[in-house]
Amino acid sequence: MDKYEEYFKNLLDGNKSACAGIVNNLLNESIDIMDLYTLYFQQSMYKIGELWEFNKISVSKEHLATAITESMMSFVYPKIFGAEHNGKKVIVSCPVNEYHQIGPKMVADVYELHGWDSYFLGANNPDDELFRLIEEKKPDLLALSLSIYFNLPSLIKVIEKVKNFYPNLPIIVGGQAFNWGGRNSLNQFPSIDYIEDVKMLNSFIE
Amino acid sequence: MKNSVLFQYMKHKAALIFLVLNKNQHIIEANNYAIELIGNDILNKSINEIALDFSKSIDFKLIVNDESKRHLLNIITEKGLPQTYYFTFMHTDSETIAIGETNSSEIEDLRMSLVSMNNELSNLTRELHKKNAELIKLNDLKNQFLGMAAHDLRNPIGIVLNYSEYLLDETSDTLNDEQIELMDTIKNTSRFMVNLLNDLLDISSIESGKLTLDLAPSDISKFITTNCALNQVLAIKKNIKIVSEIESSLPLITMDENKMVQVLNNLITNAVKFSLPNTEILVKAIKSEDKLVISESDQGQGIPQNEIKNLFKPFERTSVRSTRGEKSTGLGLTITRRIIEGHKGTITVESTVGIGTTFSIIIPYQ
Repeated sequence: MDKYEEYFKNLLDGNKSACAGIVNNLLNESIDIMDLYTLYFQQSMYKIGELWEFNKISVSKEHLATAITESMMSFVYPKIFGAEHNGKKVIVSCPVNEYHQIGPKMVADVYELHGWDSYFLGANNPDDELFRLIEEKKPDLLALSLSIYFNLPSLIKVIEKVKNFYPNLPIIVGGQAFNWGGRNSLNQFPSIDYIEDVKMLNSFIE
Repeated sequence: MKNSVLFQYMKHKAALIFLVLNKNQHIIEANNYAIELIGNDILNKSINEIALDFSKSIDFKLIVNDESKRHLLNIITEKGLPQTYYFTFMHTDSETIAIGETNSSEIEDLRMSLVSMNNELSNLTRELHKKNAELIKLNDLKNQFLGMAAHDLRNPIGIVLNYSEYLLDETSDTLNDEQIELMDTIKNTSRFMVNLLNDLLDISSIESGKLTLDLAPSDISKFITTNCALNQVLAIKKNIKIVSEIESSLPLITMDENKMVQVLNNLITNAVKFSLPNTEILVKAIKSEDKLVISESDQGQGIPQNEIKNLFKPFERTSVRSTRGEKSTGLGLTITRRIIEGHKGTITVESTVGIGTTFSIIIPYQ
């Protein structure tokens, strides 16, 4: 069994300590952070999401795998936050009722790796909180994530509000929800980029 | 037919507790789910034996007889943790059917709360790491600033010290007593400042992770004897005797001799500062297993127990005062400990007020 398969099996079984052992080994072997994020965390969570969508696993199992993955991401933080900052700031957020935050958290971490100061607001984030942080941090960019397609109206609503108050603030949008459609609804707004995956995000930042 | 199918389903597959009770409210039949949850010995138990009743005030008879509503019961499970089930009781002529279900909306609420709490916790963890990285950077900046400031101040203060010493040595016969006293104050104050700046430079480089040790095999006996003799020159002013006791044939120890001179001088000068005249300072060295143990004991005033934990913290001072008003930078023991730790060693303190203090350094032979 290769390392990824072993990691995925333990993730599916809810075996946090085994996953931690594998991730720590990979970090000790100096795995590239982007590889760890895409080849392990992202790939495994996409698979978990797929299993849930096809009724192969319960939502509880999916949530347990999510919680374990978030915990694994915390092992990487000491390596992420040491980067030299370039003075740019990004706020990463999810609209109200969107509870999936691994994707946007990865986005925030990728920005940190590129020397940006990232402020991650988390899942199910009230608009007031987002506006308070925009006022406080005056970011160079806002990144919004959507995992569940049905939450698209919430996303559109928050984009409308942001564009109304901060017309010059560039926005990037991404997430698994757009696999089901909805990209066209972004065209009505100026200065919005759709980011398909982490690879595209890297090129976009560079 | 339908009843039979339904019964078979309840008995073998349903994910709820299904019990049949007799007139005495004892369980005479249980489905697979209940047996798995509560245990193989479920039969013949009464309902009050499988449900929790901390206050011993639940009237189980009344509950079982009440068909009008669902009753919350906390069931004792085989795995140990009780689980909450909502029971409906239905009566036939000779038996009672008890069905216990979970509340799915309650569980869903709980699941969503756990998801939110987990999100919150993991975001706080991320924030904590981010803040920690920022603090490390700020601390590095502080050390850099401290190092630069100390370095730039040390040279001018050094010049003041050298010139004041020169003037005192060369022109003291042309100065009156008051002028000599003033010059002496300039000399002592500038010496203290040079020491303080040296300590600040040491601390800033140690804190920045720049403690580099120039390790080489050293003859510990010669090292201790030489440094005790050098310190004796100062100690004699207070009529304090420095004695050394060194185990014979100690093997060479790998250490940075210059840094260890700093350690030993720190401990001995502290002992001299805080000891009364006509006392003794004992420096011992022995080999214990694969470690070198150097101890330094004085017959000084001792340190109160509750102050010992702060001894090695920067700028922390104890309530004990030096016996002739000698000054300390407050950094010596911090630097001492860092140097010992750099040698993979430890330093400990034992002290009794009115009796004296012993510092013990343990360094492994590598």
